[in-house]
Amino acid sequence: MREEPEKAVKKRRFMITDIILIMFVLAIILPVAVMLVWTVTERWAWPDLWPQVFSLRALDGIFQRSEVLTKLFASSIIISSAVALLSVAIGTMTARALVLYEFPGKGLVYFLTVLPFMVPATVFAMGVQITFIKLGLNNTVAGVVIAHLICSLPYGVRLLMDGTAAVGARLEEQARVLGASAGQAFFRVTLPILIPVILSAFCMSYIVSFSQYFLTLLIGGGQVKTFTIVMVPYLQSGDRNIACAYSVIFLCITLAVFAIFEKIADRWSRNTDTAFYT
Amino acid sequence: MQRKLTPYILLVPQIVLTIFFLIGLITGITQSLGVIPAFGLREPTLFYYKEILTKPDMVNSVLYSLRIALFSALFSTAAGVLLCALLVNGCRTKGKMMRIVQLPIIVPHVVVALFAINICSQNGLLARLAYAFGLIGEQQQFPALIYDAGGFGIILAYLWKEIPFIIYFVIALMANIDGKLGEAAVNLGAGKVQTFLRVTLPLCASTISSGFLIIFVFALGAYELPFILGATTPKALPVQAYIQYTHPDLRNRPYAMALNGLIIVISLVCAGLYFILMTRSQKKLAGKK
Repeated sequence: MREEPEKAVKKRRFMITDIILIMFVLAIILPVAVMLVWTVTERWAWPDLWPQVFSLRALDGIFQRSEVLTKLFASSIIISSAVALLSVAIGTMTARALVLYEFPGKGLVYFLTVLPFMVPATVFAMGVQITFIKLGLNNTVAGVVIAHLICSLPYGVRLLMDGTAAVGARLEEQARVLGASAGQAFFRVTLPILIPVILSAFCMSYIVSFSQYFLTLLIGGGQVKTFTIVMVPYLQSGDRNIACAYSVIFLCITLAVFAIFEKIADRWSRNTDTAFYT
Repeated sequence: MQRKLTPYILLVPQIVLTIFFLIGLITGITQSLGVIPAFGLREPTLFYYKEILTKPDMVNSVLYSLRIALFSALFSTAAGVLLCALLVNGCRTKGKMMRIVQLPIIVPHVVVALFAINICSQNGLLARLAYAFGLIGEQQQFPALIYDAGGFGIILAYLWKEIPFIIYFVIALMANIDGKLGEAAVNLGAGKVQTFLRVTLPLCASTISSGFLIIFVFALGAYELPFILGATTPKALPVQAYIQYTHPDLRNRPYAMALNGLIIVISLVCAGLYFILMTRSQKKLAGKK
């Protein structure tokens, strides 16, 4: 007798949890679904809940000017991939210094490393533009890469610090005892174990770079065209089909880039037992 | 000797980039004090700060941005932690659910602005649903959620992006604590809710607070969403700053920098707090082991 109401309460609580989670998932997916519908919509007038006329005009329009798309595609992906690769490389070095070594000024270096987390890119961009102009980096791809790198590096360092701390120095020391050089010990022992963390750091840095609008606008001066720079005018003019089509294309490309790098990372660490990573 | 030098050698590229970053910050701060020798401005002054804190349109920008940042950070942290707890409790911390949680993280803010227009505008899906259910008779009756003076659409857009961020930021730690210490607490007779409130939540507190700070500072200083979704007046801090920055009269530059300076002061306070929180949580978690 006493068990039944308790069970009912438990069941109801599960129901509420489920409803909340389902609503959360729907809230995430709905805008994405609407965007997908808009890419193939010709006319979707008030007040219908479903478009009246479908067409591939927006996608056709984009693919017909394939020269523009290829250029945009190349510059966007090259910039973000370069930023992500540099962020991972520098992040690994910084993480090693901060985790495995003791040295004076360590606290300060760590603070300065994570500071760009906390100071918005807009403020940094307006302050640093004059320096970039003086160095001839303004309006150049290299300038945009450096600026993006400064903003994405903290993410890379944070993730890689956790990874480096988890791997620790013991395995490398053992390799050294067995006669490996410092370089061998790092590249053959630690690096393969770090691959999963490196992959997350790569993706995170790529996303941070890929999402930058203001920084790209200011440092790139409108000369360096990335996805966000091309998108915003369409948003302002209210050309939703084109804006949606561009977004879909570029989100797919981002996912493809991640998949490719996951493959590469997989192949790289295939022969290593990653169970050490605990 | 060599070993002593190693960390510094490893840090060289990091330090070069940090110097770039600091140059940006310091240039901003000196210009906000009205020192731009190239324009013939040499005397440091707090005049521009006084101006931005008294001129009505600038004060409105400051208040508008602070409100957006506070509400976005507060609601996304609260909702994120709650959802995180539900996910941990239901053992859904991996697999498909996490893929869905990660989706908003990879979507750029510019695309989130597009979502807000598609869903929340007076021509958007919500307005159409309201019409279909007979809640409104015509388009104009639907409340202006975007391009509105309250910044409601901007906050909604931030929530879509940042609630998953909080979940992603907290879930690994929460699952870990819940699995180890939570079980112990339950064995000792604590209820699920009690365990969460008195064991799991306090141990996650520093991580949750740093997530809150990251979102707060980001929403305070980000340009994209208020630029695309914001009202004509009041303008958000970064939007206002950029207008002053690109003003044809170069003597307006210090206003831009003073607005930025305000963001810097607030972010440095947050950065200090973040640093303290991170160090503390690292110590706490290390002590736990």
